[in-house]
Amino acid sequence: MTEQVEIAVVGAGPGGLCAALAAAQAGAQVALIDNNRHPGGQYYRQTAREFRGAPSSHQREGAALLQQAIAAGVRIIAETNVWGAFDDKVLALNDGAATTYLQARAIILATGAYDRPVAFPGWTLPGVMTAGAVQTLIKEQRILAGKRFLLAGTGPLQLVLAAELARAGAQVVAVLEGSRVFPRVLQHAGALWNQWERLSEGLSSWLTLARHRIPYRVGWGIVAAEGAAQVEQATIARLDGNWRPIRGSEEKIACDTIALGYGFVPFNTLSRLLGARQEWRPELGGEVPARDAQMQTSAPGVYAVGDCAGIGGAALARVEGQIAGSAAAAQVGHGTADAIPARASALARERRFQRMYAALFTPGVGLYELSQDDTILCRCEEITQAEVRHALALGADTTNEVKLITRGGMGDCQGRMCAHLIAHFIARETGRSVAQVGMLPPRPPIFPIPITALGVTR
Amino acid sequence: MSRIKDSPEFQRGAPVTIIVDGAPLPAFVGETIAGALLASGRRAWQHTRHGQPRGMFCGIGVCFDCLVTVNGASKVRACLTPVAEGMIVQTQETTP
Repeated sequence: MTEQVEIAVVGAGPGGLCAALAAAQAGAQVALIDNNRHPGGQYYRQTAREFRGAPSSHQREGAALLQQAIAAGVRIIAETNVWGAFDDKVLALNDGAATTYLQARAIILATGAYDRPVAFPGWTLPGVMTAGAVQTLIKEQRILAGKRFLLAGTGPLQLVLAAELARAGAQVVAVLEGSRVFPRVLQHAGALWNQWERLSEGLSSWLTLARHRIPYRVGWGIVAAEGAAQVEQATIARLDGNWRPIRGSEEKIACDTIALGYGFVPFNTLSRLLGARQEWRPELGGEVPARDAQMQTSAPGVYAVGDCAGIGGAALARVEGQIAGSAAAAQVGHGTADAIPARASALARERRFQRMYAALFTPGVGLYELSQDDTILCRCEEITQAEVRHALALGADTTNEVKLITRGGMGDCQGRMCAHLIAHFIARETGRSVAQVGMLPPRPPIFPIPITALGVTR
Repeated sequence: MSRIKDSPEFQRGAPVTIIVDGAPLPAFVGETIAGALLASGRRAWQHTRHGQPRGMFCGIGVCFDCLVTVNGASKVRACLTPVAEGMIVQTQETTP
C-alpha cells in the first residue's frame, strides 16, 4: 500500500532538517526519512543516545533543529533506507523488515556525501579506512579505530580529526595535506570574511596539533599501504602541482591505521533515479544534479540540497534547505517561497566559501594514478585495474560497458566506491573526459534489502 | 582499537555481551557491532572470495565491507547495527 504525503525529505542532516522545518513552518505536511539511528547526518552526528555525556556545540545545534522540526509537525521516519524511487514521486522505504511506499507531491533530496575512495596499492588492507569512519566512531561511540594514525587527504577537516584523535589519547604520526595550500589561501582571504566559527575551529585544531607536535606536511600524500594481515606502514611522497608523487621523495612511516580524507563524493543516486539531469562538476565533488534558484532539479517537484547536489558543507546545506523547503511548500500550496529573497545574502556568502574550498582542496589528477595493475579498483567484486584494462582492450570505453564485462560496480555497494576510480582510469587510458566515460546508472534496490521486503506490493 | 575512557563528563551505556562466532564479546549499549569488534582489537572479520581480509572501511553504511550475519539474517552492516544483549553475530568465516 502507498501512503501519501505532501513533501518527503530524504536525509536528516543539516540540509534535510532545515528543508523539513521550513516546509512544515509554511504549513506543509512533511515526512523526513533517515537511515541512521540518530537523525543529524554526519555533521550533526550524535553520540549514541544510550551514552551519557556533554554534547558538542554541533551536536547541540543538530538536536535543537530536530526538536524544532518535530515541534513544527515533521514526521520523522528513522532507521529507514530509501531503496528506490519511481515515477509519480513514489519512494520505496525499508526499515530492515518491511517495505512501505510513500508518494509525495514534492521530494527534497538531502542525502549528503561520502568520503572519496582513493585506490592505491594496499588500500584494501584492514586498517585503511576513510576519515569519516574514524571520526564517526569517536563522535558516536567514543571508540578509537587504531593506535597510530596516519591522516592522508586534503582540507581543514583533517586538522579537526587529528585534534580529536590527539585529545582522545591516540598517536597521530602525521597529517598529509595534498594541496599546496600556502600561500594560495591568501588569494581567497576575502571568502573567509564572516566565517568566524570556521576560522576559530580551524585555529583551535591547529593549536592542538602544535601542542601534540603532530607533523603537518603540506604537499605530501599517501602512495601505498603495506602489511601482512593489516596495515603496518605507509609509503608517502611529496606531490607535484598535479598531485603526482615526485620520484625519489618517498618515505616509509610506521602506523596501524590510515585515515583517508580526500574530500567527498556527492550521493546523487536518488536524483538520478528520479530522472534529474546531471552534470560532471569535479569542483563540486563529481556528478551532481543541475538545479534552478529554488534548488529544483530538472525533474519537476524534485529538489536537491546540500552536499548531494555539490560539496559545500553544512552551512550551505542549511541555507539551501531553507530555500528548497520554502519553495516546495509553495509548490504544494503553502506560503510564498519567501526564503529565496530572505536567504540571498547568506547563500552568496556560503557559495563564496564553497568556491574557495574547491579552488584550494579539489584533488589533482595524480590522486587517480596511484593504482597499479594489481590494485583492486572495485572492492566488492575484487576487480583489479588489469581486468579493467583488459575490458578496454575488448572495446569498452564507458564505465557502464566495463561493468558489463568485468562486474566492476555490480557488488553490494552498487559502484559507490569504484565508479569514480574506474571512470578516471578509463578516461586516462582512452584520452576521453570523465564526463564522456560517465558514471554508472543506478538500479533499484540501491541498497541490498531482504528478498522478503519485495513481497509487499504497491 | 580501544574505548576512550569514561569521565565525569561522559559515560558509556550499560554493559552487554554479544556472541561472536560462538565466543562472548563484551560491549556497551549504544555501540555498533563494528565498534565493539574494533574496540576488542579485531581489524578484520570478513574474507573475500579471494581470501583477502576485510573489516570496516567507510563506517557510514556505504561500502558494505563490514558485513556480518546477525541472529541468522545475512549481509548486515556491522557499522550501522547496534549491539544488544545476547545478539548472535557470525562473521563470514562461519556463515554457511
